Amino acid sequence: MRLPAPSSLRQHLFCGATLALVALTAPFPVVQVILHALLVLALAPRSGAALSGALWAVAAGWVLEGTLRLYPHLGGTAWANLTVVLLAGWMAGRWPLEGLRGWLARLAGLGLLHGLLVHGAVRLAAGPHPWGWGWLGSLLTLPLWGWFSWRLLHPPADTGRR
Amino acid sequence: MALRASRWRWSRAGWQRLALVLLWVGHGTWVLMGPPSGQRWGHASEALARPSQGLAARWAEWRLAQQDAALSLTELRADRTRLAAELEQVRLRATREAPRQAEADEAVRLLGLKKHIPLELGAARVIFSTRPAVFGGLILDQGLDRGLVQDQGVLVPEGIVGRLWSVSATQSKILPADAPNASVGVMLMRSRATGVLQGLGSGRALIRYVSNQEVVQVGEAVLTSGLDRVFPRGLLVGYVAEVTQGDLELRVILNLSAPLDRVSAVLLLPPQPPVEVQPPLLAPDVKPAKKRGTP
Repeated sequence: MRLPAPSSLRQHLFCGATLALVALTAPFPVVQVILHALLVLALAPRSGAALSGALWAVAAGWVLEGTLRLYPHLGGTAWANLTVVLLAGWMAGRWPLEGLRGWLARLAGLGLLHGLLVHGAVRLAAGPHPWGWGWLGSLLTLPLWGWFSWRLLHPPADTGRR
Repeated sequence: MALRASRWRWSRAGWQRLALVLLWVGHGTWVLMGPPSGQRWGHASEALARPSQGLAARWAEWRLAQQDAALSLTELRADRTRLAAELEQVRLRATREAPRQAEADEAVRLLGLKKHIPLELGAARVIFSTRPAVFGGLILDQGLDRGLVQDQGVLVPEGIVGRLWSVSATQSKILPADAPNASVGVMLMRSRATGVLQGLGSGRALIRYVSNQEVVQVGEAVLTSGLDRVFPRGLLVGYVAEVTQGDLELRVILNLSAPLDRVSAVLLLPPQPPVEVQPPLLAPDVKPAKKRGTP
């Protein structure tokens, strides 16, 4: 059963709120990375509206690196975010979701890819850098924020499934 | 195919795709440029920011200079106020001490004169002056209580003043040398011609009994002759102001050298002084010879 897409306004509101949280949680890098992954992988991608999702992802990347203030040359995270969100949007159109399990599995795959792409792009842009533990935190807490984002985007009344 | 190209070129989705491609390619290019380009951008931004930074630095310097100037002005005003208050206090103190200072100066001058006259001189203070009145004189603060007697000579460093006319218990009255009834034995300094001084008032006096044969010059000093036994010989009386020929004698008018209207302290000669006194032989200040090697 193909699930209906969430409303555009709802999705933009969630993205804006999460982006603000990414900026505000700069003193807590692990939490910031988790929120960043939630925004890029779960909230921003939208089938048929790639540009808006891409802009949210790019904004998330620049905000993350801007609040970190660690790299000599910024932009790597934004580029990786842009790439992943385009891929996720394409996947959402190509393979529509049918349930929470598939959603979590897709998030896990995209999360791995996102982590690798981010570190690779940052290495290209800024050179060698510490990886930190944010990527591991985001992967370990993926069931939590994946389920949360699923509930946000597809409330139970819409899905008809509890 | 033509229809698809038209949609790609002009439709909203086509513009969005183009924006996405540009966004992705732009970011990728930016990332691939790496840190050196970032440094170049940093240098460029520094170069662009240099004028504004210079302006801001000048503005900050100007503000600091203004603050310093304001602070200096405040300090200067405070100093000026303090100095004005101190100046006012000094002036007030000087005004209060001016009479005492003048009296001290007068005492010093009298003391200097006293050293040059080898007589037992006394000092007295003028407490009142009746000179504007007819036959007026000067009132001293001493009288019989200090042993004063009539006809004692009175003088100041500028010259003679007069003689004691009357002496009461605690006060004395001076008959000034310019009084009409005053008489002082005088002599001219060059010709040594003697005469008797007769007052004309207002600090002027006439010398009588000077022969027509004498040569007297205007400006010539007139000294006491000592013949009146009131003043010893050689005390300055005044200077010749006018000389005219008379029938039998010269009419010599002189200006008294003592400022009779401004006298505040006087010296009193002893009664019946000798006709001539010699100035004291002042012993030179002999410094003790230093021994070699002593500090």
